[in-house]
Amino acid sequence: MQPKFRRWMVSLVLLAASSTAMADELYVVCHEGVSLDAADVRDVFLGEKQFLNTTRLIPVDNLAAQPAFLEKVLKMDAVRYTNSWVKKSFRYGINPPAAMANDAAVLEFIRHTPGGCGYLGTAPQNSINVVGKY
Amino acid sequence: MKRQLHAITVGALCVLGTYCPAGLVSAAENENDRVTALEQKLDRSLKLIEQLTARVKELEAQRAGTAASAQNVPPAPPAESSPQIQQRLDSVEQQLTQITDSNAARGGGGAGVPLHGFADIGIGNHTANEPGLQGANVGALDMYLNPQLGEHTRALFELTFEVDQQGQVAPDLERAQIGYQFSDAATVWIGRFHTPFGYYNTAFHHGQQIATSLRRPRFILFEDQGGVMPNHTVGAWFTGAEPLTDGKATYDLFVGNGQAISDGEIDPRSGGVDHGGAIYGGNLGYVFGETLNGLKMGVSAFRSKITNDQPYVNFTRVDNVGVYFAYDTDRFEHIGEYYRFSDSGLTPVGPTHKSSAGFLQLAWRLPIATPYARYERAALNQSDTYFAAQTEGMSYYRDAVGLRFDIDLKSALKFELGHTKNTDRLVQEWNDVLMDYAIRF
Repeated sequence: MQPKFRRWMVSLVLLAASSTAMADELYVVCHEGVSLDAADVRDVFLGEKQFLNTTRLIPVDNLAAQPAFLEKVLKMDAVRYTNSWVKKSFRYGINPPAAMANDAAVLEFIRHTPGGCGYLGTAPQNSINVVGKY
Repeated sequence: MKRQLHAITVGALCVLGTYCPAGLVSAAENENDRVTALEQKLDRSLKLIEQLTARVKELEAQRAGTAASAQNVPPAPPAESSPQIQQRLDSVEQQLTQITDSNAARGGGGAGVPLHGFADIGIGNHTANEPGLQGANVGALDMYLNPQLGEHTRALFELTFEVDQQGQVAPDLERAQIGYQFSDAATVWIGRFHTPFGYYNTAFHHGQQIATSLRRPRFILFEDQGGVMPNHTVGAWFTGAEPLTDGKATYDLFVGNGQAISDGEIDPRSGGVDHGGAIYGGNLGYVFGETLNGLKMGVSAFRSKITNDQPYVNFTRVDNVGVYFAYDTDRFEHIGEYYRFSDSGLTPVGPTHKSSAGFLQLAWRLPIATPYARYERAALNQSDTYFAAQTEGMSYYRDAVGLRFDIDLKSALKFELGHTKNTDRLVQEWNDVLMDYAIRF
């Protein structure tokens, strides 16, 4: 393998590894004006809390950071999380959070959606409303 | 060359979601568009990677002084030249699938209303709810819709196709609810809903896949399967939850058409009543917070004026009170319910008859399977016209042990060994060996 190509491949691996490392920190973010405490965050993502005053809360999942979120915040595995939502959907007619691919998609969503909440694997800019850090 | 390679790599990484400079991320306005865009990006990234691989091969060949031209170098599949890239692509493909599934489940956007459903097939020396039948049987095909209608309006429709004793397929609109959610503390539903007594009847519905056990407790079976409780009510239901210091209180209040007993089964009278009878009642529960996380306890009660289809119509006032608990955690699912009936004949006027029914189910969620055990008992007064008019209104006890295997997220294989004894009217007992394959979609 040529040195330059090897350098590129090493860069690829390092970049992938760095994204994994960055996912160790988790930030729960919401649309401006939405304020939640730790217990609320869990309830919002499990469908137990759907309103903040008159604002309907709209949680979204971040598939890139979901394993860390389930472990640190909801303290449940993916199977139980999914089953919990299936039951809620069937019992109460509510739908599970939409799934976003990564931090960028979540940020874009909450910027434009009143009541929107999500979580990020990387620290957001100062202008973003961070309601919890894990 | 270095700049080109860098641009290609950054583009690929951007698509893969690993690294992406600001300004390169194009977010779609709605989720469906975004999924489509991601799929297109994935296709483009695959082509880019193939080009990149071919280009690298070409460069390596040139540097080694070979005469092979770039056109003669066949593009190698990414998996051979770069396992990391292939792994990332697999991950992206998986994420796209999840996004598609999840967004279909959410039902947002203008892509129509997603259809969800359940189905199950059983095999046994008896069928699960008909001891007179044996062999293989089609359980139910259950479809439900819960469209997103706006910030406050909710709807839920559940249509079930079941096979009766004669093998005929019978459609049934099991639930048809339209509701307005004022807040987390208050939602009002109107339509046909599961009567909110106890825990089991509102926690588990017709889709057998989400229930841990292979079958419902016999006295809570649905009306057309032989259950003796009025599982469905057609009317209005006011429900909600209020957070407290360590947990939350839940409540239900409901009123609806008084049921009738027709052809030996309870009829919820979905089309309206002609005798003016009504059912009304409530349920008060407490869901524990951190202290006893997963535990819910509560009480429920209802009163219903029920008629039957005898030549001289009997009116019976059915009074029911119940207590229940459910302990639902990652490790356990324990449920217990107990009900007392105090039924009085109204026409003709008759004495009050006492009856009771209850069950206790214990389940352990182990890594490979969920074993469970259940004991149920119903002592139903046969002088009570409410039970006497029902084909399956006899007293019984049943004990059962079972094992549930979750094949994957959407399918479960269940086995159950049970012993049932009818203790009055027609005394008989039998053993069950049952299997059920249940799915959801």
